[in-house]
Amino acid sequence: MFRKVLVANRGEIAIRVIRACHELGIRTVAVYSEADRSSLHVKMADEAFCIGPAASANSYLNIPNIMSTAELLGVDAIHPGYGFLAENPRFAEIVTDHKIAFIGPPARAIEAMGDKSAARTLMQKAGVSVVPGSHGAVAGEREALEVARVTGYPLIIKAAAGGGGRGMRVVHTPHDLAAALQTARQESEAAFGDGQVYIEKYIGEPRHIEVQILADRYNTVLHLGARDCSIQRRHQKLLEESPPPRLRERTLIALARAAVRAAQAVGYVNAGTVEFLVDAQENFYFMEMNTRIQVEHPVTEAVTGLDLVKEQIRIAAGERLPISQRDVEFRGHAIECRINAEDPRHDFRPSAGLISRFQPPGGPGVRVDTHCFSGYTIPPYYDSLIAKVIAWGRDRDEAITRMHRALAEVEIAGIRTTIPFHLKVLDNAFFRRGEVYTNFVQRRIDPDQL
Amino acid sequence: MTDRIDFDQVREVIRIARESGVADLEVETPTLKVRVRRGTAGASGDQAPVGAAHVAPAPLASAATPKTPAASEDHLVPIIAPMVGTFYRAASPDAAPFIKEGDDVDEGQVVCIIEAMKLFNEIQAETRGRVARVLVENASPVEYGQPLFLLDTAARG
Repeated sequence: MFRKVLVANRGEIAIRVIRACHELGIRTVAVYSEADRSSLHVKMADEAFCIGPAASANSYLNIPNIMSTAELLGVDAIHPGYGFLAENPRFAEIVTDHKIAFIGPPARAIEAMGDKSAARTLMQKAGVSVVPGSHGAVAGEREALEVARVTGYPLIIKAAAGGGGRGMRVVHTPHDLAAALQTARQESEAAFGDGQVYIEKYIGEPRHIEVQILADRYNTVLHLGARDCSIQRRHQKLLEESPPPRLRERTLIALARAAVRAAQAVGYVNAGTVEFLVDAQENFYFMEMNTRIQVEHPVTEAVTGLDLVKEQIRIAAGERLPISQRDVEFRGHAIECRINAEDPRHDFRPSAGLISRFQPPGGPGVRVDTHCFSGYTIPPYYDSLIAKVIAWGRDRDEAITRMHRALAEVEIAGIRTTIPFHLKVLDNAFFRRGEVYTNFVQRRIDPDQL
Repeated sequence: MTDRIDFDQVREVIRIARESGVADLEVETPTLKVRVRRGTAGASGDQAPVGAAHVAPAPLASAATPKTPAASEDHLVPIIAPMVGTFYRAASPDAAPFIKEGDDVDEGQVVCIIEAMKLFNEIQAETRGRVARVLVENASPVEYGQPLFLLDTAARG
């Protein structure tokens, strides 16, 4: 086992990793930017080293300073957390080249899944279904019509260079295809300076469902069940739960098998997540694989009783997974609410600043992962996640009731948070029935009533 | 809140003053009042130099003439580590240190080496002055932003 681990991250995930290390008897090194000098991860770690100014490009993304710290303080492993350098294959490679263990997958697995179109091809070869569509950009109208025969209608035209809805068109009939192709191209050219577009089958009101994977170096790949992360806003997850409500057992099993195949196809080792889009008929399509620990991992921990971060460390140290798939038991239902420093009443605008009072919830079945405390100032330089509240119950109803009770206990003064939004979701009749999809927030939550 | 002076805050104010290029910056919090005044290029020694911090409510220090050894800490400016690494005072183990206490240093003069990623990075003084203190032991690890030397910028003309 490792003697000393450097945590190349900040905020609640740095604390999560430090806790796992301390339970395993491993010393910890925190790195921090000048803006995080008085933050909790710095206090909790055995040693701490400043690696740069507030801007993350020069601190938490500063590979030379992080590697120098690792060498100077003699660590034998680095945990990247999520975000920052977690999915940077070059970083994973540099760490390994320094004879330091990278607590995450091999660089080549990160790379294989990082290239989204190559990953798609790889998954098709492995027999994992992907959203039907064109292979890369479509050259012209004739090719578009051919692709449309495979995808069927409705289909969606997307900008190859784009995002954010620009260069995007949903097409319902063949008659509209030519005109939509042209406008999508023009829009894409204007927005991104690149008129290339590709075509995919359009999946209306899909759910976002993902499968947690844990793999060791000895070809054991376990799945730890699925999480529904459909409650999102602008592709940012806000509430996650496991198991996904109202999903047939058959579908869950098929999803888990597909996720294991996906992991095996890239020689995956360590914790990872395979994300799928699931339509109303429960057809599912591979979206991407996140090659790191995820924000919402505690949901899976709550229903399986496993400590994913400790398992990550053990796997990186070369240990075998202590359990087989048969030993993985799922108990009850868990929900996570992400408490962000954002004002849901004003289009979720950021709300950084001094937290004059911070009173987290407690009681049975409630877990809080946070780096905040009364008197902490949220710096404006990093992401807005300030706490994760996880509620467990014997069934979904109890988990929802507990979450509601827990969030009502929270007292955070000085800044705005997403708590009023979460309470609204928890009260929503559609949510309570388990009718969720990725545009749930736009369709079911009225921002004026928050 | 403690009654101790928060040097991080002072450092931050100095940094803001330096980066923004303002001539005079005053910051007041319930526990601290800091005023930073910049000297203009080519001015004689009677102006507070870059980075001189006054912990309030002290008035600005009066002129330090070139030949007067500065007693006040007002003229002390740190040279800080611009990267994480190992601090070396000399180019090689048997060479003389680049600078020692009492030496005069010019802007751009190499004052130490920081070894990072197996590369030796020469660190230069950003301002001229006289070495008042060496703050770090040779061959020690240094953090980003750690003060390495204190330069007395008023000790030279």
